[in-house]
Amino acid sequence: MSSSIPAINIGESPDYHDLILRDRIHGSLYTSPAVYRDELERIFYGGWVYVGHESEIPEKGNFVRRTIGEEPVLLVRDKKGEPLVLKNRCAHRGNLVCSEHRGKAKNFMCPYHGWVYGLDGSLLDVPYPKGFTQEREDFGLQVLPLVESYRGFVFASFNAEAGSLSDHLGNATNALDRAVEMSPSGDLRLTAGWVKQKFAANWKMLPENDTDGYHVNYVHASFAKVIPSQYDEATMVSEDDLKSQTIDWGKGHTELNFAPSYTDECQWLGLPDASRFPDYVKQLEEAYGYERAHEILRAGPPHTLIFPNLFLGEMNIAMIQPAGPNECVQWHTPLLLGDVSDALNERILRQSEAAMGPSAFLLADDAVIAERQQMALAGGQAWLDVSRGEEREEPREDGSIIGHVSDETTNRGFWRHYQNVMSR
Amino acid sequence: MQLVSNDEQRQIEAFLYREARLADESRYEAWEALVDDDMYYWVPAGDDDQDVEGGLRVSVTADNRQRLATRIAQLKTGMRHSQLPVSPMRRVLSNIEIEPVEEPVKSSAREYRVGANFVLYELRAQSTHKLEVWPGRVEYLLRVGSDGELKMYFKKVMLVHGSEPLSTLGFII
Repeated sequence: MSSSIPAINIGESPDYHDLILRDRIHGSLYTSPAVYRDELERIFYGGWVYVGHESEIPEKGNFVRRTIGEEPVLLVRDKKGEPLVLKNRCAHRGNLVCSEHRGKAKNFMCPYHGWVYGLDGSLLDVPYPKGFTQEREDFGLQVLPLVESYRGFVFASFNAEAGSLSDHLGNATNALDRAVEMSPSGDLRLTAGWVKQKFAANWKMLPENDTDGYHVNYVHASFAKVIPSQYDEATMVSEDDLKSQTIDWGKGHTELNFAPSYTDECQWLGLPDASRFPDYVKQLEEAYGYERAHEILRAGPPHTLIFPNLFLGEMNIAMIQPAGPNECVQWHTPLLLGDVSDALNERILRQSEAAMGPSAFLLADDAVIAERQQMALAGGQAWLDVSRGEEREEPREDGSIIGHVSDETTNRGFWRHYQNVMSR
Repeated sequence: MQLVSNDEQRQIEAFLYREARLADESRYEAWEALVDDDMYYWVPAGDDDQDVEGGLRVSVTADNRQRLATRIAQLKTGMRHSQLPVSPMRRVLSNIEIEPVEEPVKSSAREYRVGANFVLYELRAQSTHKLEVWPGRVEYLLRVGSDGELKMYFKKVMLVHGSEPLSTLGFII
């Protein structure tokens, strides 16, 4: 299917075995237009990507606009109530069919010449039909061949041969499960809108940084100094006292696991214990039983990157959108929970604003550091070391690898999978 | 719209220009001295018109007084990379409209609702060294304190491009 994306002639594909070694990677991976073109083709159009959440399209006819790689798409709930992903480009002259960010539609009409498409992408109407003699079945909006939800998270692929979603997710389903289980009813509500943050940096710096536990003391030193937080014990004590972990789940999915450093409940919510939200505690106990509920309350939500573009950022959901080799956009929204008190969801929202986005206590600094890295790599001559902790990481039976929270186990996991995908 | 006197207008405009200059020059302590105890500093995420369940809507910035104090404390640590060095900035305020608040939050005080357009030019001196343009409308709520001085207890910055991808906004806008 990737052959349907015409290659732009910007140089030969490099050999990714030359650029990605076991313990180091080449800087041109962040800057080269040829690498970027290959990524669009092999990762964003050739594999599975995250598109949206079912709570964003609760009713038949609801849609949201998204971008996969650089292709505009619509995530739609069709007449049967199933999520569907359509290319948002008219089959006639290639115009953007829908320019609203979200909404509810019975059909989609291209504003250029009035072609009308059904929610399933089929071509319903062509104005002045006598002059158009082609087969209409050949002129629908392209429907992405693979669309599948995992517990409300909708993934899709342009490539019919991309394999199963469960194969793509592998061990990462457990992170999605943990996110869902933060909600007593299992309902998540991605309904608070999105903030979009622009990075003058390559998109891969985001997934890498999202599960890099080593930068926290430095990039976020100013945050640590003014706000006591759950990250103090989780990432900022001495090397031997750190209990958090890096996890390479395989298939490019990586995690910072803070749970081992949490001694009390709701520390992940920036609270000393769960006493502020007794109703939530009760709801979780009723839903999952006492023991599991209190484990959820202690361990908190996942901090997990799902390759290539979904970040389960504790009580945030973030989407990573590439925009050329030297720019990307991160979208984020708070992970609001269904059927809990407004006070709890408001706490989640305010925590989200503190951490994520262009002015936040954390992400503002991450962005500038990423941009400086992009500047430093512009010459394309660097090698980057990702060897940290190779000697002390431990493989587990499920294929995952556990490292010290300061170790580059996650970076290596990302790049190992990237190399596999890019060498196909 | 009820008008204010020429004296009030001059005093309010002087306050706005001072607030703008102190923000432009990253003089955080002097800027914070213009802020009252019930301050809310808000940068919404754009023109989103979706009906929202429970009214919970994610903002770029939504600081109550305490969080604003934390924001300023963070800027003053000398380790806030997104403002190291601080962005050279200049903003222009115009189209200023002032009206008295009929039912003031603090009933004994005189309060004003003020709107203005602004354009802010920022040099992203921390990383890209590109010039960033931040245009928008700003809404203030001001009150005259017991000492006769104006203070600000609400500032809402409505960016023209708030719904689009935004560059790092580490400064006080």
